Amino acid sequence: MSNMDSKLRLIQQSFNSRYSEWVREALDELSDNFTITDPSISGHPLVFASRSLLKMLSYSREEVIGQNGNIFQGPKTNRRTVMEIREAIREERGIQVNLVNYRKDGTPFWMLFHMSPVFGKEDGRVIHFVAVQVPITRRQRGNGGVRLSEEASGLNEIMFGSCRKEVDTNSVLELGRVLSSDSSSNVLDIEETCEASDFEKRRAANVFNSILTVLTHYSESTGRLVCGKRCSVPGVGYISSSLNISLGRIKQSFVLIDPHLPGLPIVYASDAFLKLTGYDRHEILGLNFAVLNGADTNTSSEYQIQEIIQNEQACTVRIVCYRKDKSSFWNSLHLSPVRNASGKIAYFVGVQMEEECKNMDRHGLSPEMRQLSTVGAVKVAVRSLSMAAGSSKS
Amino acid sequence: MVSVKWLEDKNFRTKSRKSKQLEHSCLFLQGMDFPIYNFSSQSLEENTSFEGMSCITGEEQSMLDAVLLSQWEDRMLKGYFKYDVTTSEIKVITGKMKFLSQLNEGQITDHQFKSEGKKLHEFYPLVFDCMKHPEELLFCLASSKKAKSELTPSADVPDSAVLVIINVTPVEYGHVYLVPCFSNKLYPFLDARSIEISTRLAAEINNQSFRMFYDCYRPNFSAVYFEACYLPHPLPVEFRPVSTFFGGGRRGIHICSIIDYPIKTLSFTTTHNLKILAAAISEICSHLEEKNVQYNLMISDSGKRVFLFLQKTCAASRAISAWECGGYFLYADRYEFDQVTEDAMLNRLSSFSLDDCDFEAVKQLCCSIASKFDV
Repeated sequence: MSNMDSKLRLIQQSFNSRYSEWVREALDELSDNFTITDPSISGHPLVFASRSLLKMLSYSREEVIGQNGNIFQGPKTNRRTVMEIREAIREERGIQVNLVNYRKDGTPFWMLFHMSPVFGKEDGRVIHFVAVQVPITRRQRGNGGVRLSEEASGLNEIMFGSCRKEVDTNSVLELGRVLSSDSSSNVLDIEETCEASDFEKRRAANVFNSILTVLTHYSESTGRLVCGKRCSVPGVGYISSSLNISLGRIKQSFVLIDPHLPGLPIVYASDAFLKLTGYDRHEILGLNFAVLNGADTNTSSEYQIQEIIQNEQACTVRIVCYRKDKSSFWNSLHLSPVRNASGKIAYFVGVQMEEECKNMDRHGLSPEMRQLSTVGAVKVAVRSLSMAAGSSKS
Repeated sequence: MVSVKWLEDKNFRTKSRKSKQLEHSCLFLQGMDFPIYNFSSQSLEENTSFEGMSCITGEEQSMLDAVLLSQWEDRMLKGYFKYDVTTSEIKVITGKMKFLSQLNEGQITDHQFKSEGKKLHEFYPLVFDCMKHPEELLFCLASSKKAKSELTPSADVPDSAVLVIINVTPVEYGHVYLVPCFSNKLYPFLDARSIEISTRLAAEINNQSFRMFYDCYRPNFSAVYFEACYLPHPLPVEFRPVSTFFGGGRRGIHICSIIDYPIKTLSFTTTHNLKILAAAISEICSHLEEKNVQYNLMISDSGKRVFLFLQKTCAASRAISAWECGGYFLYADRYEFDQVTEDAMLNRLSSFSLDDCDFEAVKQLCCSIASKFDV
């Protein structure tokens, strides 16, 4: 199965495993613009886009499903706003910002972007992010892209006046462009800043609630309810949305082992690992790495792995591993402790290197380099977790 | 215990060269082979605009990102760092700014310049003795005429290259020095070319955590160098509200001042041409140096955003690092780390900051220089 096929299959499952059959039709009955994304699939792709949105942006469904939401962004999209959206995803909370999006033909326009997570009721995990887009029709001067709830939004000193005074005449003419749109500008020109009205903000919130109602209703029949607010604390071994997204960028075969849980279970497995071993994600999560052992696996290697974890050292072991179909391969497994922001070990990463595949990859990187780059990328991703707050004044 | 095989085919003939020559030329590298990463001609083309380059954060780790991370991790495994920086604790300081602080006990014990009761870190000199520690040079960056970027595992260092050297007392994972060499000489001052190369590097790495820093105050190493590392979180300054005072021109240069932040800061972005933005920033910086205004640069968001932190003109040899300007503070002492407050950090930053009057002058300077380039 090609990569694209398996990704589409995951996208289908994203909905099918959670909601009953007619959910897409029900969502299509809503005449609003919105997208639904799944952070647990590599690339954080769109799993649903409403008919209205597709029409507004002039895309077909096939062009959009499976892509990341940033395909709608372009040069004039404020980078700080994009970063704020990313932070909201990291913190698994909602956000409402003004954002410049682009249609398929490249024309930009302002819209109010209202995003909110949808949680699993029982396990507290983020199932999807729902993003409502309301085009902003009234043009008002605002502070372009600043989060509307930002308390400093009142401080909107625009320095044009003082800047123009002291500068020579040539520059004044240039700066004049800042305030008014250039008369020779083409249709791609757009205001620097824009702010949604209260009406538009309320509209976005209402649309979200309608969507949530539909999703909740259709999750009842599968018994895997969703809700708009987190009702339960996710259990140990929970991989947050942002960690999922960061790890999804790494295209090598690797797993994360939680050394604090009994049995040293695998709590994350990359797509490449699943492809290498032939297992499905749900078959692997929660099991010990020994699941890959078989007839010829040296039993001492199981103890070796345990010992490495106990010693909290990085190490490489050569072991025979077995796929789901019982075929075997020599695995040069590199294990390394991975620490989070507290400085303590959060996980162990195990990166597989199939010894038969000794060729350079398409970039000319050796397999050993790829293996180490995986370790580095995982370390960077996990380092952002569990950052404590506070200045202790005891 | 590690049995990772790395490319063993680095062969070099050692020659006796005084390390003093390090200050002025790259000839010391002749005769040694290192991995060379060649930027494609597309990356460095005159008119490459952002419309061409992806605004999209890659769905996949880029090749340069993989090269840097793998080389760094390789040196980690071989024990070339003084300590494992990921064991240090990071926390958010309570308050509106959400400043970050790190308890890094490892740095101070090995520091050559012992602080005289100072709690926060001073600068670390770039000390690279290639004869004793060639392994500290991870690889070199160079340009090429080819259509695609590529990695050559082992080759002579080209005349014009950027050396990527590990910082053995890192501030975060992946901490390296980037030292541009041009015609075998190190740069004595910051210019458009070095800023442009740094921004290209950040864009090619295409990793949201990767940030580059430049401090104009470098007491121990006069040649130009940048620093870079993978910061797990964006720096507090990146979230502060902004006010645009220059923009809308043909070349898409935007300049904003950061509002409600204790140190005077400007942020530069472009919707079009990276090269032009780099040229504008470098001219602004050389004017600042003429007027003795100390400054720091930070390149974030994969090269799309450049911050300029403005410090007081100072006769005394005091300055703070770029990451401190951004709101990330290091402590060597557990007690100090626990006691830090936002107010103390606000005071620290404002004490170094350029004052309001001079800040206005700098903004006007930026407007006039940017409008020259923005045609």
